[in-house]
Amino acid sequence: MVGLAQLANAAGTLVVLGLVLLINADVLSRNLLNAPFRGAYEMVQFLMVMIVYLQLPDVVRINRLTRSDGFLAIMADRRPGIARIFARIIDSASSILMGLIAWAIWPEFLRSWSDGAYFGTPGIFTAPYWPIHLVIFFSATLCALIFATKAISGKRRPELLHLEESGT
Amino acid sequence: MTPFEIGLISVVAMVAMIYLGVYIPIALGLVSFVTIWVLRGSFELPLALLKIAVSDSVTEYSFATIPLFTFMGLIVARAGLGEDVYRVMNTLFHRILGGVGMATVGANALFAAVTGSSIASASVFTKVAVPEMMKLNYNKRFAVGVVAGSSVLGMIIPPSAMLIIYAIVAEQSVGHMFLAGLIPGLMLAVAYIATIWGMSKARPAYVVRTGAGQRDSETLLSGAEMLLLCLPLASLVLLVLGGIYTGWLTPVEAGAAGAALGLALALFRRRIDLRGFWTALLETGHITAAILFLITAASIYSRMLGIAGIPNALADFLDTYQLGFAAVMVMLVVLMLFLGTLLDTASIILIVVPLFLPIVEPLGVSLVWFGIIVVIGAEIGLLTPPLGISCFVIKSTINDPNVSLKDVFMGALPFAAVMLLVLVILIEFPILSTALLP
Repeated sequence: MVGLAQLANAAGTLVVLGLVLLINADVLSRNLLNAPFRGAYEMVQFLMVMIVYLQLPDVVRINRLTRSDGFLAIMADRRPGIARIFARIIDSASSILMGLIAWAIWPEFLRSWSDGAYFGTPGIFTAPYWPIHLVIFFSATLCALIFATKAISGKRRPELLHLEESGT
Repeated sequence: MTPFEIGLISVVAMVAMIYLGVYIPIALGLVSFVTIWVLRGSFELPLALLKIAVSDSVTEYSFATIPLFTFMGLIVARAGLGEDVYRVMNTLFHRILGGVGMATVGANALFAAVTGSSIASASVFTKVAVPEMMKLNYNKRFAVGVVAGSSVLGMIIPPSAMLIIYAIVAEQSVGHMFLAGLIPGLMLAVAYIATIWGMSKARPAYVVRTGAGQRDSETLLSGAEMLLLCLPLASLVLLVLGGIYTGWLTPVEAGAAGAALGLALALFRRRIDLRGFWTALLETGHITAAILFLITAASIYSRMLGIAGIPNALADFLDTYQLGFAAVMVMLVVLMLFLGTLLDTASIILIVVPLFLPIVEPLGVSLVWFGIIVVIGAEIGLLTPPLGISCFVIKSTINDPNVSLKDVFMGALPFAAVMLLVLVILIEFPILSTALLP
């Protein structure tokens, strides 16, 4: 499961690179060759979904999902037992919400898979919806499982918000 | 119970859950889900709304600005541009008492024009400016306070992730928000410099401890060197903000072009290797996913507010008690300061905007101006205890046991006060935010 999250994460990271390249290629080609890319707009939308949902399980795994854990940090010092119970409850609730998302999106995937729904403008650029629904389903399921693991093992000590984001 | 009461209870429950440490997007999503379920008595409706929120609210073209500007900021921080402008500013301000402090503010303002994150600014300038000030015998509280205070410029002076987030939730143009942020951001920088000047006149002992160290003139730069060091940064600002201002580039394209130019600069200066490049991409992905998932959850929350009729009820309430615009603004600022004690800026914006936008919109005020007010108000929270994120970053970056977290907060407090003052001026004079709009 950890491997799967990291794999999705690496794929998502490549998509970020793809996004930078795609838009630059579009700008250059439009200004130098006077030939804008067809469907750059729709491609960007598509890539954004991929980035978010491919990265999300890893964000959950390394505890980078936005939270304010000042209270949990204080509790962990004074009443570690209670803090652990709180953390388990929170992770279980999170697992339930991610499960609900997966459950809500699954029928949508089945529908777009069978009827070939697409977005974009016919004749210019179209992309099918089903990969979007599939990646959301995959991501939400994986997140639910990771949260469930955290809730069961419960060994993580809450750390301070966003500290890792300080960069280098 | 009326829908309004249920809605109100759920907003309070949500804030309580967030304070207890529930992940913010989870709290928003879960509470909204249950509230809609209770209000409509159907399990299918919230499920359908959840489905729409996760699949539709992310497929938005302008969202691409978030990863692009995040990536650009991370690359530019690695390329060492922050250190360069700091050296330039240091030369400009070196004769004045408190000059290093002013230089830090000036450098932060310039650096902010190429990065959208206060976190990046805080960590870069803690590394260069704090040691320098310590060496020159500056008061430690003053030193860390200046860095904390000026780091918020990163999120106000465009390009800024927070301006983008507001633009998305309030359905405003990202380009307009960027243009609107320019004057308020510069105003804040000038106000900081004036504050430092005032401090060094009124209470020099707070700024520099006895016997200010003399700076060796080797670190000063000649005019030509200053120009050369500013060139990369100036070219980035020109490309990104100039491109948006002239309409040659959309904000998304400007972000991509800026990221490419930043990468070229970093490569040219040999400041980045494959590993650093991959880390920056990875970091970008993580930040993007976290922010966009938050936005997704906020869109469910905003629907829940609508279904419960909270914004309308609030407007009626204001109407009944003849509370005018001023009262709305006071409520808004107080709420943001309260939330700012524990929440990060993005979460505050996403919680506050859906509540207030329906009230403010009929009043006929500029929603771009309103966005600037919300972003700056929410940013004050970066500096206030117990959970000012900028202050935490500084504390963890300097890693010096002589400087406590309390020192950072106390040092940042005067700057938070200046921010509040500037906020009041901006509320009073909307033209300051809207002057540059086409």
